Amino acid sequence: MKRNPLNKRIPRELRKNAGKYIGIFVILLAVIVLGSSFMATMDSAVIAIEENDEECKIEDGQFEVAQPLDEEIFAKLESLDIYKDEKGNSNKNDALPYTINAVENYYCVDDSFDKDATLYVFNEREELNLPSLFEGTLPAKSDEIAIERLFASKRDIKVNDKVKVNGYEYKVTGIIALPDYNSLFKNNQDLLMNVTHFGVSVVTKEGFEKFSKDTLVYRYSYEILDENGEKPEEVELKDQRQLAADIQKMLMVEGVELKNYLIAEDNQAITFLREDMGKDGPVMQVFIYLLIMVIAFVFAVLTSNTIEAEAAVIGTLRASGYKKSEIVLHYLSPTIIIALLSSVVGNLLGYTVMLEPFKELYYGTYSIAPIDIRFNLEAFITTTILPVVIMIIINWTMLYGKLSLSPLKFLRKDLSKRKAKKAIKLPNVSFIARFRMRVLLQNKVSYLILFVGIFISSFLLMFGIGMEPLFDHYVEEVNDALPYDYQYILKAPYEEDKGEKIQTYSLKTWYELGQTDITVSFMGISKDSEFFKDVPLWEDAKNDKEQLKGITISLPLAQKMGWKEGDEVVFKDEYYDKEHKMIVKNVYDYKGSLTVFMEMDSLNELLGYEEGAFNSYLSNEELDIPDEYLAKSITRDDMTQSITQMLDSFKGVFRILNVASVGIYMILMYILTKTVIEKNALAISFMKVFGYDSKEIGKLYLNATTITVLVSLLVCIPLELLCFKAILVYVSSMIEGYIPFYLPKGVCATIILIGIVAYFAINALHIRKVKRIPMSEALKNRE
Amino acid sequence: MKLKVNDVHKFYGEADNRVEVLKGINCEVNDGEICVLLGPSGSGKSTLLNIIGGIESADTGCIDIGDDCTSDMSEKDLTLYRRNHLGFVFQFYNLVPNLTVKENIEVCAYLSKEPLEINELLKTLGLYEHRDKLPYQLSGGQQQRCAIGRALVKNPSILLCDEPTGALDYHTSKDILKLIEEINRKYKNTIIIVTHNNAIKDMAHRVLKLHDGQIVKDYVNETLIPAGDLEW
Repeated sequence: MKRNPLNKRIPRELRKNAGKYIGIFVILLAVIVLGSSFMATMDSAVIAIEENDEECKIEDGQFEVAQPLDEEIFAKLESLDIYKDEKGNSNKNDALPYTINAVENYYCVDDSFDKDATLYVFNEREELNLPSLFEGTLPAKSDEIAIERLFASKRDIKVNDKVKVNGYEYKVTGIIALPDYNSLFKNNQDLLMNVTHFGVSVVTKEGFEKFSKDTLVYRYSYEILDENGEKPEEVELKDQRQLAADIQKMLMVEGVELKNYLIAEDNQAITFLREDMGKDGPVMQVFIYLLIMVIAFVFAVLTSNTIEAEAAVIGTLRASGYKKSEIVLHYLSPTIIIALLSSVVGNLLGYTVMLEPFKELYYGTYSIAPIDIRFNLEAFITTTILPVVIMIIINWTMLYGKLSLSPLKFLRKDLSKRKAKKAIKLPNVSFIARFRMRVLLQNKVSYLILFVGIFISSFLLMFGIGMEPLFDHYVEEVNDALPYDYQYILKAPYEEDKGEKIQTYSLKTWYELGQTDITVSFMGISKDSEFFKDVPLWEDAKNDKEQLKGITISLPLAQKMGWKEGDEVVFKDEYYDKEHKMIVKNVYDYKGSLTVFMEMDSLNELLGYEEGAFNSYLSNEELDIPDEYLAKSITRDDMTQSITQMLDSFKGVFRILNVASVGIYMILMYILTKTVIEKNALAISFMKVFGYDSKEIGKLYLNATTITVLVSLLVCIPLELLCFKAILVYVSSMIEGYIPFYLPKGVCATIILIGIVAYFAINALHIRKVKRIPMSEALKNRE
Repeated sequence: MKLKVNDVHKFYGEADNRVEVLKGINCEVNDGEICVLLGPSGSGKSTLLNIIGGIESADTGCIDIGDDCTSDMSEKDLTLYRRNHLGFVFQFYNLVPNLTVKENIEVCAYLSKEPLEINELLKTLGLYEHRDKLPYQLSGGQQQRCAIGRALVKNPSILLCDEPTGALDYHTSKDILKLIEEINRKYKNTIIIVTHNNAIKDMAHRVLKLHDGQIVKDYVNETLIPAGDLEW
């Protein structure tokens, strides 16, 4: 088969316009590297988690009790005796075909580990929730301990270090991950993880026996088995809940004091990672595709300009008998080459050099088992085939449309599709202004792409620069909003004069945008509350024609849910399987959390508690509540620490975004402004011939681009702010809170300033180039 | 291959601006003839050449080449018609700027099943020594020779030349005309030359003089003046 001699032109074309093609290659490469390493890591992490959960036998549920279960109860629990009569027959029509394998999963709590952290030390695990080893060995002696990787790295604890737990010294023999703590939530109700101040660890049985009983928590973990004692493929969620409800009932009948019950599906420490990773993937894909589409359009503009410049040659080739498809394929070749090259190199880099930073993003946030990177077809298609296909489709469409013109039109260099129109009438302004308007109209497509490029890159810049102050502001707001310094949650009634009694409870409500249930804190406060003085409280519903309980909701809850006064809202009590319909009577400007305020006894009535019942104290001073009455104490610092920690884990991403956005900004600006200036280079030289000096030519041509860039920078800001707000709504949908919009004024000014500086730096390069074009050359090229 | 133009009409513009640029052209050019289309600017000579070349369509009438009629051809057929039968030479050479002389000629050799031997053609064109140069390294005359070589390499039955000397000086123009004459002798192609240069008519076997969209003269030259002896 003969090789088309036109192909020899392609490497020369790439060399001739190396600056532009390298620019596109670099952006495309960056996007593909980012995408492939992200997707490969994410998919491999998903696989690693799934496999690890299976290998390490992750639990299906857990509960904590005040005292260890005696053998008889434990046996009943395992055989789920509640379903059976004395003869062993099921005594319930809806008995579930399951049993459970329950194991002790006791742990000791060291609240002042390394002074300011909490460490859970688990007894040796043999059947469920087995540890995965990152480094070293599992503890074998009574004075050895293996510590969770993330906590160890934040606390700079290494293998062979000595640590003190509740007064006992242990040698660290291994760095591990525990499947039931892949997200380090200390409490299931916590808003965010706290990897710096909370960790888990494992010691041997002998090592565990040392701990004093009053530091122990009696947790039992279980796995669900089928009637043959095998692990079923899947147990429906409703069956899991039914099973949990039955176990709880059974334990209560046996007089066991149950302190906590969680099925794995409700356990944030297990599910948060899976849900979080699932959410990031599509966003990243959309982000990659959008960027690739912009790049494809930029490429299309470049190719379109090449076609305009080579119109007469194309006309001659078409007149000589070259088919349209042959010419389209030829001009599409640089796109295909650059796209393929970026895909191949991008994937190579993505699967090698860039994997570690992305693994670090997971390792730095979650306590997951080691991630082995595997080939993933979907990731391969997303980052290799689809970018090439998107580039080809967009460029092919442009080329095919453009090359549909007759050979004669090409020979005449008349590439307008529409019939010749009269020149647009311009207002009667100065010659210079009209000239600039003509330049703008002539290059409208390039300027439009320039606008889109400026929008995307300055939006990335806004995201990169703006997220840090936004999070700081959020932390500050939460901190300022809290009217108290301490909250003490009781496990048993205790009278204390100094604090203010409140009733707290958590209910769920359906969050349409996030397609999930979110938890809302209910605060039952007294009318003469010291901390919430001006919160409007509503009497019960008896006098209300709607017969619904009236509630006051916090501003973040109203913003997140889009609720307003008069809305009827529904809350679910999963524990008792009840629904409560209420009416929003007021939105209160309390920025602390997603909170519903009710009169204390109104809440008690709702929950079926006695009048005057309470379960928490609020106080501005530290209260002395004995441990046996105290379930949890939360300080102001606890609230803000967890948010600060989340910010820390994101800082790396913001920095990457800053650098990437400035890079993309500079390259796009360079390519597009170069295109506009090159398109006019000939005319600029003619103006020189006519006697215009460089300053005057600048006013005519270059200033049109400058005006476009400045206007784009300014016009993009409000659009970017809108997108930023939309993204915040999305980010808020992923967490059980609401991050209000905030951006220091200086950020917008900084973005514009960076844009202007970048533009003028690039423009200076172009001006130098234009100045170097000799006038004779311009005249010689005139055909 | 015999070329026959049958009652070709061509209009430009619409409504009040509608202008008839070809008003029923009828003519014939025999196989192997050099035919000059002569006329002032706006007489319709380039339009007629473009219609013959299948890069512009006639509003009515048709061009018969051998057994084919262009008015029945689809866009694809027209492409194949140009590929198989025609070679084009324009006033501006339209060479691919980043291909050498030889590569520019190869671009069209690629389209032909039996192209001419390129090195021999380069020698005929007087470009053999310059075969590895890029177009910007050549003079105008050399670039036009290259453009002729590109058109000729397919060994087309008909070579269409639109003002081939329009951008060249007197001596270079004569060189190009001599080359065209030599090609006609050597390869026996039918050659149609559009020009407003009255002197060129004397080297043509047939002369068609156009004025205001009509053929005002159609005659065969009894005696031919060699291109080298033309004066203007």
